[in-house]
Amino acid sequence: MAAADSPSAALRRDLCSRGIRLAGKMRADVVDLLDAYVEQQGLDASASVAAVEGVPLAAVERWDEQTGTQRLLENLAAYRAFRALLAQMLEEQREQLGEADAGLGRALAAVLLQVSAFAYHLEELLRLESRGIPGAEEDGPPPPPRLSLFEQKLRGLGVLRELAQWAVRSVRDLRQLAKPGPATGAAPGLAESP
Amino acid sequence: ASLGDSQNLKCVTHNLHKMLCTWDITSRGRHGQTDFCYTTNDLTPQVCFKTKERRVEIPIPESSITVTIKSSGTAFATKEFVIHQKDISFVPVTPHILSLMPDFPTSTLNLKWSDNGSVFPYGLDALWQIQILRKEATEITYYSKLTHEDVILSWNWTSDMPLECTSHYVKIRCYVNATQFVGPKNWSDWSPKEMIPGKDTEPGGSGVFPLDPVVAVGSDLTFCCVHEEDQRITNMTYGSKSYKMMQLSSRSHAIRVLNASVSNSSGTNVVCRLENGLEGSVVFVGYAPDSPQNLSCETSNFLIIKCTWKPGRPSGLYGERRTKYSLFERTTGKNVSCEVNEVNKDHTCGFPVLPDQKTYDFILGVSNPIGQAQSSLLVDITQRVRPITPEKLTVTGNNSTSIQLRWFINGSFAGIRLLCQIEISSSHSERKLHNVSMPGRKSSTYTAQLNALHPDTKYQFRVRCSAADHFWRWSDWSRGVEQTTSEAPP
Repeated sequence: MAAADSPSAALRRDLCSRGIRLAGKMRADVVDLLDAYVEQQGLDASASVAAVEGVPLAAVERWDEQTGTQRLLENLAAYRAFRALLAQMLEEQREQLGEADAGLGRALAAVLLQVSAFAYHLEELLRLESRGIPGAEEDGPPPPPRLSLFEQKLRGLGVLRELAQWAVRSVRDLRQLAKPGPATGAAPGLAESP
Repeated sequence: ASLGDSQNLKCVTHNLHKMLCTWDITSRGRHGQTDFCYTTNDLTPQVCFKTKERRVEIPIPESSITVTIKSSGTAFATKEFVIHQKDISFVPVTPHILSLMPDFPTSTLNLKWSDNGSVFPYGLDALWQIQILRKEATEITYYSKLTHEDVILSWNWTSDMPLECTSHYVKIRCYVNATQFVGPKNWSDWSPKEMIPGKDTEPGGSGVFPLDPVVAVGSDLTFCCVHEEDQRITNMTYGSKSYKMMQLSSRSHAIRVLNASVSNSSGTNVVCRLENGLEGSVVFVGYAPDSPQNLSCETSNFLIIKCTWKPGRPSGLYGERRTKYSLFERTTGKNVSCEVNEVNKDHTCGFPVLPDQKTYDFILGVSNPIGQAQSSLLVDITQRVRPITPEKLTVTGNNSTSIQLRWFINGSFAGIRLLCQIEISSSHSERKLHNVSMPGRKSSTYTAQLNALHPDTKYQFRVRCSAADHFWRWSDWSRGVEQTTSEAPP
């Protein structure tokens, strides 16, 4: 475990705070995108969407007991999955709408960029702690079955809702990681994985 | 005795040649053998049969026939009947459905059956009643002419609801209008029913149907929600509006949307809310393409022919359902698909100039999932030349009263003469235009000499070109160049 004021601890705190800002911005953009998506797709904002296959759930049990490495690894797996899901949504968007409503396509592409950047940021944090970074291909979700257009719309809704939840969780995770040493009771440090 | 006696002698013909006579026998004689004899009235010899069947097939008489039925071993052994043609009823053979095929995307059933025409004389009119049974029965009458051959008739019927919504049953019966036949004429029996099962008969067949259709604006649409038996359906909405539901079966409810209006780019959602879930479909309502207007083609370099047109009303369809364009040249059979951006409305298409071909017989084909249209244009491309903008206009020589200009035009103009127009401006005099014509060349430079200029005067020049013969349109102006003539010699 690195001492609280050592250069790597300071670097980690810096990476965490930059990550928190990135996640905060991403959440705001995802919420805006969600509103635009619901309107453009003619969906009912209150529609309940069953858990969508391949979409990582932000809710986690015993969040406080997670080690720092678990937090980073779960975050990384989630954002890699979202990267693939958003890329699929973008492809479907182009297929279905072509040039119509390019605004939504641009907003989707912008969020995809942020998700990719955030995933890279998490990898940086893992590298900083000389943690092995799981290969990207392990995490990418298998291509979902061909869905009907309405199912595609609902899946998109489910993806964006869950991504917004994940951005909130990531901010909390990174705040936890940014806390100095284990003395603070929680398990923020990057302890050995169980 | 006459027909309809207690022994109920009845004769029916199915083919206007032979008739099937049946009769009853009192209980005592039911199992014994019967002698059935008949003779027509022109004193031909009697014809007899022994039968236990109580039915006999014999030829139809020209006018009437005398029948004698002798049952063995009973008191009332012999009974005689006179059958007139008018007593014989004609009932065509019950038709049989050969095939019933569904086409789900178009909600169409295709029915095939044989008209059994070979047993009938040529030219009789036949009526076919076709019943389609769903929640309520629909009956259609179909007409055909018999040709003394067995012809397989094929008939399409488009349902007003998707075939998936509920099972469709079909049966058919026939009436032959045998005008020469004097006896009573009746409909045949109904054929056995054929069925196309709906999704509401399939386990796990839930969903909203039709699934993701593309339809024309103004259509009347029926959507159904197929759900599990134990699932209660809350409502069905089309877009943001809830519609009154009709129950088709225990697992299928439908709504009817009239005069559908154009949908937005992502389609109109048809949502079926169930107690524990959602089912849905997305319908795209748009327009068939208009015939392209003002189709015009020209070439700027004799390499590519560029055609432009006005598309007419937007289709309202995007992405993979967008309106697609293709340019077909009839003489060569060459076909080019055009990349057209439905949103920013630049409707152009490029077609390669073909070696040694001046005249092009174009058909611009337009299609989308709702319909198609086309426009055609016959054009001599040498009469549709609008050169590319001249480039690299430079002054290559000058003195006090004349200037030599040079410019470059990209493209293969070797086959035509070019006409170029040089604009001469100066602060002293009005803008002048100087025309010069020259043989065209392939990606070449061209020159012109301007005389009678004023000494020591600043001039601005620019040039544009067109075809000398068969003028079509000027190119754009080149970039300008400025030059001052030298002072007059002392």
